[in-house]
Amino acid sequence: MTRQPYGIMAEFKTPEALMEAVRAAKRAGYTRLDAFSPFPLSDLAKELGVRTSAIPWIALVAGLTGGVIQYASQYWMNAIDYPLNVGGRPLNSWPAFIPASLIVAILWAGAATLISLLVILRLPRLHHPVFAVPGFERASEDRFFLCILQDDPEFDSTVVREFLGALSPLAVQEVPACE
Amino acid sequence: MTSDAHAATSRVADVPLSPHFGWAWWLALLAAGGLVALLGYTLISVTIIGVGVWGVNIPYVWGFDLINYAWWIGIANGASLFAAILVLRRHDLRTAVNRFAEGVALFAVICAGIFPIFHLGRPWLFYWTFPYPATFEVWPQFRSTLTWDFWAISTHVIVTSLLWYVGLIPDLATLRDRARRPIVQRIYGVLALGWRGSVRHWACHQRAYRLVAILVLPLILIMQSTVAFEFAVTLVPDWHETRQPLHFVATGLAQGLSIVLLVAVLLRWGLRLGRYIDEGDIDLLGKLVLASALISGYLYIDEIAAALLSGGLAQEATFTRMTGEYAGLYWTAIVYSVVIPQLFWFRAARLSTVGGVFIGISIGIGIWFDRFSIIVGGLQTDYLPSVGRGYSPTLPETGLFLGTIGLFAALLLLFVRFLPVISMFETRHDEHEEKSS
Repeated sequence: MTRQPYGIMAEFKTPEALMEAVRAAKRAGYTRLDAFSPFPLSDLAKELGVRTSAIPWIALVAGLTGGVIQYASQYWMNAIDYPLNVGGRPLNSWPAFIPASLIVAILWAGAATLISLLVILRLPRLHHPVFAVPGFERASEDRFFLCILQDDPEFDSTVVREFLGALSPLAVQEVPACE
Repeated sequence: MTSDAHAATSRVADVPLSPHFGWAWWLALLAAGGLVALLGYTLISVTIIGVGVWGVNIPYVWGFDLINYAWWIGIANGASLFAAILVLRRHDLRTAVNRFAEGVALFAVICAGIFPIFHLGRPWLFYWTFPYPATFEVWPQFRSTLTWDFWAISTHVIVTSLLWYVGLIPDLATLRDRARRPIVQRIYGVLALGWRGSVRHWACHQRAYRLVAILVLPLILIMQSTVAFEFAVTLVPDWHETRQPLHFVATGLAQGLSIVLLVAVLLRWGLRLGRYIDEGDIDLLGKLVLASALISGYLYIDEIAAALLSGGLAQEATFTRMTGEYAGLYWTAIVYSVVIPQLFWFRAARLSTVGGVFIGISIGIGIWFDRFSIIVGGLQTDYLPSVGRGYSPTLPETGLFLGTIGLFAALLLLFVRFLPVISMFETRHDEHEEKSS
């Protein structure tokens, strides 16, 4: 049995051409699409149905958790575990516990957002099949790529090739799968 | 647009990828390296001999250590705040100055972090401020501003460096793809973490980046206020003022902006990046610097007003600072941070390289003297009748200060050499937008 490729990829010169291609592919019933561009294309992300709403929630939950942990640990350490009487000030000196709690809330929110970003993107990774496509290095410079993935229910190598070829791309290439 | 985008990427990417960089860079790095060696020497001497090598003594327990700490934190915060606002406002300037404003902030906070640790006297015990299960089961005293500062600095370092690095990832991928030598490809490849420019990735990346930029705003305000609280919560008459956080935040912003301007002007001149940091950008930065200098001026007036309103010893303390033994520090601060920057009312001064360098350094000097005046001059009047001998910095302290300037310069030079100082993907985006509009 010949091994299935990762997908079929078409290369375009402009973001507008890529946008057209994505729309056409969606009209043709393809659902497993990925697009590559040298800069963020928010309209295209919308078209592909990319959802980013998890990120603010992660930040909010992490921030609240960090802030609560910081306040609670200050309270527990200075008022319960080792009551520290400094000049007769209340053991739970909440105004003095606020600055560190706010700062640590920001620390947790910021670090969680950026670290979970990498987890969501499944980065870092050493290799990805798309890197094997000749000319793909220009995806970080001035070229735009559309890839129809092999796990699309409509995927058929020859049909996809013909379909992408009809969108007047610069090139259509197979993305070989890798172990 | 493609050929333009290609050209834009080349101009910026060629800098880190070129095998040769010219003698000027080497010379500058050598000078900075010499100062870093001096920094190493002064740090070792203070570690081995102790803080006795500094000129500090009761009541002047804070000398260059805290002056320079507050000064570097001001630069870090001003630059971070500026970068975050540009990102959030989606301002055109962000493409040009955002990346190195973040770099300036990161390097300044690294320099700042050295001072509080070494000023502990036993720097190897700095972890005592962290709540860890110690043998004697005593926890840190969380009502102390010292512990607030510990959290503030560590948060600032972590969040600033993460933000800077995550923003760099797509550009590191561009460098990886453009590099020709295998070893260079591999290094940038590892640093780029396998970024492949998927539209999904871009969407998440941009969302997370902007979100953390929002978080930087309160972080900066709290961080700079924490520094100010270290003064405000003491009983020293000149320091015990609720206006301190405002004073530190606003003058710190002026200082951060002026250093961003300085670096922008130098990069524009040194790397010939005039096309990306154009006249409009420099003009706008100049106006911002002028506006922030005016705000500093307003705060100096506010300081006098607050003193007049408070009366008593607080009033006497402020006026002693302006007229007493250390009056020179106060007036130098006013001249350098408020008066000289008024040259920026002239467009020609804003646009000239010399003008940018001159005013950038001038505000840096001015705010440094302001911190000096607060920390040393502010201690002349106390509730005790006698306050002992004065303070003057010793050679190891001066070496420490020059050393951190060298460290900052060295980090900046390495950054300029090996990483894209201007966001390449933002540049491509902007050029595309211009084409399509």
